[in-house]
Amino acid sequence: MEYSMNQLPQAINSDAKTQSSENQNSEVVSDNSGGQTLDSENVDSNTLAAVLQFLQKHNLKGTADALKKEARLKEDQLRDAQALQVDSEATNLLSSYKSEGDPNAYEKAYLSYRRFVESSLDVYKHELSLVLYPLFVHMYLEMIYNNHENEASKFMERFSIDQEDYYQEDLKKVSFITKKEHMKGSDLMENFKSSQFTVRMSRDTYSVLKRFLQDKNQSIVMNVIQEHLYVDMYEGVPRNKAQVESTAGAMEGEANRQVNKTKIYYGLLKEPDIQLSVVEEEEDGEPGEGGEKPKKKKPKKDPLLNKKAKSDPNAPPASRLPLPDLRDIDKLEKVRALREASKRVALGPDSLPSICFYTMLNCAETVTCVEFCEDSSLLAAGFSDSILKVWSLVPQKLRAMKPAEQLADIDKEAEDVLVRMMDDKTGETMKVLYGHCGPVYSASFSHDRTLLLSSSEDATIRLWSLQTWTCLVVYKGHIYPVWDVRFSPHGYYFSSVGHDRTARLWATDHHQPLRIFAGHYSDVDVVQFHPNSNYVATGSSDRSVRLWDCVSGNCVRLMTGHKGTVSALCFSTDGRFLASGGADQKVLLWDLAHGHLLADLPGHTMTISSLAFSRDGTVFATSSLDGSIQLWDFFRMTDESSLEDVNISGHNPDLLKRSNVIESLRLARYPTKATPVMSLHFTRRNLLLAAGMFEG
Amino acid sequence: MSEYEATGSLNLPTESMKIMAESVGVAGLSDSAAKELADEINFRLKTVIQDATKFMHHGKRKRLSTMDIDHALKIKNIEPLYGFSNPDHIPFRFASGGGRELHFLEDKELDIADIIGGSLPKLPLDVALRAHWLSIDGIQPAVPENPPSLSKDQQRLESSDPVSKLAKIGDKTQKKSTTLTATNKPKTETVQVKQLTAHELSVEQQLYYKEITEACVGSDEARRAEAFQSLASDPGLHQMLPRLCTFIAEGVRVNVVQNNLAPLIYLMRMVKALLSNQTLYLEKYLHELVPAVTSCMVSKQLCLRPEVDNHWALRDFSSRLIAQICKNYHTTTNNCQTRVTRLFCRALANDKMPLASFYGALVGLSELGTEVIKAFIIPKIRAIGERIEPYLDGTGQANADRIAASHIKQLTIKVMVPILKVTRQPPDNVDDYRQEFGYLGPALHGAVNRARSQTTTTASSGVISSAAAGSLGLSAGRGTIVMGGASGSATTSRNQSSVVANAASNPTKYMFVTSRPSTPVQVTAPQTTQVVKLVSGAGQASKQTVMATNQPKYVMVNSSQIVRDVGNKAPIKMEGAEGTPEVKMESSVVIKTENITILDD
Repeated sequence: MEYSMNQLPQAINSDAKTQSSENQNSEVVSDNSGGQTLDSENVDSNTLAAVLQFLQKHNLKGTADALKKEARLKEDQLRDAQALQVDSEATNLLSSYKSEGDPNAYEKAYLSYRRFVESSLDVYKHELSLVLYPLFVHMYLEMIYNNHENEASKFMERFSIDQEDYYQEDLKKVSFITKKEHMKGSDLMENFKSSQFTVRMSRDTYSVLKRFLQDKNQSIVMNVIQEHLYVDMYEGVPRNKAQVESTAGAMEGEANRQVNKTKIYYGLLKEPDIQLSVVEEEEDGEPGEGGEKPKKKKPKKDPLLNKKAKSDPNAPPASRLPLPDLRDIDKLEKVRALREASKRVALGPDSLPSICFYTMLNCAETVTCVEFCEDSSLLAAGFSDSILKVWSLVPQKLRAMKPAEQLADIDKEAEDVLVRMMDDKTGETMKVLYGHCGPVYSASFSHDRTLLLSSSEDATIRLWSLQTWTCLVVYKGHIYPVWDVRFSPHGYYFSSVGHDRTARLWATDHHQPLRIFAGHYSDVDVVQFHPNSNYVATGSSDRSVRLWDCVSGNCVRLMTGHKGTVSALCFSTDGRFLASGGADQKVLLWDLAHGHLLADLPGHTMTISSLAFSRDGTVFATSSLDGSIQLWDFFRMTDESSLEDVNISGHNPDLLKRSNVIESLRLARYPTKATPVMSLHFTRRNLLLAAGMFEG
Repeated sequence: MSEYEATGSLNLPTESMKIMAESVGVAGLSDSAAKELADEINFRLKTVIQDATKFMHHGKRKRLSTMDIDHALKIKNIEPLYGFSNPDHIPFRFASGGGRELHFLEDKELDIADIIGGSLPKLPLDVALRAHWLSIDGIQPAVPENPPSLSKDQQRLESSDPVSKLAKIGDKTQKKSTTLTATNKPKTETVQVKQLTAHELSVEQQLYYKEITEACVGSDEARRAEAFQSLASDPGLHQMLPRLCTFIAEGVRVNVVQNNLAPLIYLMRMVKALLSNQTLYLEKYLHELVPAVTSCMVSKQLCLRPEVDNHWALRDFSSRLIAQICKNYHTTTNNCQTRVTRLFCRALANDKMPLASFYGALVGLSELGTEVIKAFIIPKIRAIGERIEPYLDGTGQANADRIAASHIKQLTIKVMVPILKVTRQPPDNVDDYRQEFGYLGPALHGAVNRARSQTTTTASSGVISSAAAGSLGLSAGRGTIVMGGASGSATTSRNQSSVVANAASNPTKYMFVTSRPSTPVQVTAPQTTQVVKLVSGAGQASKQTVMATNQPKYVMVNSSQIVRDVGNKAPIKMEGAEGTPEVKMESSVVIKTENITILDD
């Protein structure tokens, strides 16, 4: 059994899973700097052996020796473990496909199960049909494994059309495997053999299934179900077709209900108190303004501040995740933000936002990402030719800092030192950043607008200074293309995801990641920070959305329901909801409190590219590569979906499926002229900005 | 491609493997080895392509590029294929023969001397960022950057199937009722009662209408050019179309009676502008436009002094308009071209027709294409000659008539020469010509001879022949329809009934006719709206007009000026050869980026 680098975390993962049989959500291996790193109980000898094997394979002797020393492992013990490990891999995973059976029996068995599903009562039908897909895939693989290639391809040809549309893409990949040798090394294969496919069904349905298996003596079906399926049983009425379909579709089946039991703190952090006094002081201190305005302003502002001062019961303790202290410049920024917020337009069904659209011209098919900064003054775009461009969207030009010798001359006590240290001669409306050596797939501004992160195909993340316009740090950690990178709303931390199926949490002053979130079964395509910085949400090509706890490194929510790659994520303004959009043209809305799917917003005709909530949380905007922007009434959306019911019943509530309700939630739809929309952003005053490249 | 995917049998055949093996020097690959290799390579290729699509998706593209393949190879730790990158789409060519089908890439040989010696390719344009309002307070403004609020297809659908619109409105009202009450009311109550009030224009649109119409027929040439430019390029004019068309129709009616040549020319240029607007579908308004335009062709007097004024140009111009209308909007339902052709034929057949009208009919027919010319003009040449002979030869005739007759003669020669040149065999005989074409025979003969001898055409005849060639291409598809339409009276009755049906199915048509031409109806209560300025870029004539919008709500948001650059647009020349390119929408109006800042106060 060979380990390539990217499979390592997962392999560890699968081992860990077999060990801790109870805990189903220990699908996470975290680089836990918290303490329990080399504790004997957590890291078993198998894992160590795997790591050692990897080190030896890559000729990293020093590291291997150090590890051996540290783990105090004896050589013979190791060898045992190694042998055992290789053995267990082989026996556990691949050999489970071994069977002496007649290849034609599979077809018969599949047919008989299908007939059973078709003839069963409507109540049970839909849940029972969930088994068809994993059954089909595992039967196919079993046939391949036992060298029945012709029968297997016939089997594939005959029954692959039966499977749901959203599985077709995976089935195509599975159908590439036509030989036993191909089974090694295919990433999809790894998932199928190493993980169990979760099927959720009611107790009644399960008993119907059991009876069928016993009565008809279906050894093949029984075998597959026992070996590769995890049946998540619940008490209650079997679900109907819509309910079943809403959460199906992910590579690993449905989310196990146990996974989403952890309590999470989805509330917003309390705004720091010190800052309030500073606000007043700063305001008084400002010449010209202090004289007339304070009286006018205070009554206006107080309610705003009071609201913030009330602590949210769902908010995490402030000390949960260490955050950087506020600098003076941050405080000034907060004051500015508050002042802008007071001028905010209240949005609703009757007052829709204005949309300003930035079209990028002369660059068809070369722009790979577009990003606005928080205060809407800057726009960054990544290009497929490895460059990164930053535009100023306000009249102020982009200026660089003066050279060191000139900086020395500046009076550091001066009021306008920040202005003085910039060199006016360098003022431009657009600056180009060179450094990557592959397409730039994402960019993210820090909140103070002094830093910019970018991720690229060259497997690096770069941190750029927007004061000197140079690259400051190159973070090398991912070994494959980095699809997305995002700054935490509080700065300092950032998170990245990539082709290596991991999400990583970094701090700007560490060159190594603080956490590695492993658990997705395919590329992780998109990442988003929770507004309180304590959680990170990731969307993946395995068609699931996960929420990770930055502190513990655990996966705390697993949400399935997308039928294609997840391509966009956005947290609601209050932090309670998560919206996700995918290549399946769906926008799904999740309640983070329980991980339930609340709504499925249709209407786009291509991959969803960006999502945004208005600053007051009333309007929700979605955009797609089909070149349209849609606005939704988010206030009513949350109102209508009965949040209370959710707490009582265990499983997913009814969706807002009735099409007329969903249609009435759509406030507007704006098409563009041949311009796929790539990014959406609400300004502090609730103006919607959008950007895209013109393809005409 | 998709059919391959559906069957899942996209595999390299073993023969290909053998060919490839030979190309790298391995001869005589055994069948089983080739099969084994093919299987393996199929699998590897498919996984590489699978990964490449990931790069395509993350690059926000819809087309797989060679770079994607390179990147996919890179993550598989395979050396990429250097030197195969291509910024453009590489099309596969297809060839078949001898029972074999082959897809191949066209690989042209390039001469290195050409590359070294050739001029450098033009630098690609730099990436530019441009801002515009996609929506203002929830309403999409009708600026050229936005797609037209009612697309041409929708307009077409509406004109052919007005019921579809009603259904949509019904939908909307029903939706509203459910949202308001949140209970499902019985659907039986939604009976559509079409109100008979004229449909409302917003204040801005009324202002726009006023400005545009004044500018079009006014005396300021620069403003007129801007107005035509606006008519030809602005999206979202469709709401005002009924009024603009009525304006044109009434204007023509009045000015033809009063013999005012200039306004007629301006009105025809308006028609041309509307015709060239990519976002408008004029079919619904042909009943107004076609009579107006034909009036400008066949009216017996279009100006006060027929001897001096060049009303011939107007007739020529209008005839080209008619040809374009027929080309764009001829359908089997409206039979536009058939009816127009018949109209002109009758005029030609009428002996008492004044010569000016005669000329109009002739030029109208000649613009409709070679097929029409062959079918309707060639048999009449003799008659035409007889008609004009007395005026040209006789001395006692009025001056105006002589001019008209000579125009007809010139026109006939101009139209006939390119056709005769092709249809008649080279040995041209004056007597044959005279026999066949009567009075005009010798002139035609001379012209044809001249045309034949001139291998290099002069500039003037070049224009003519290219225009003729243009109309030739134009008529190619229409020929049969025209012939069929001319066949007999049986079709006439059918045509008429279809007209009636058309009118009946589209009752809105007649509402607009009653409205007065120059006064926009329904001046609603004064509203506090701001005006977005139209400033000419050259800065000579700055004027205030209003953007066309759908809703009166539109303008109040921003205090910014949207500056539109319409300065250096050449006025549309009437005399220009018909090939004037259609104005590209993107380039015509520029909203400058720096004038849009983020305004939400």
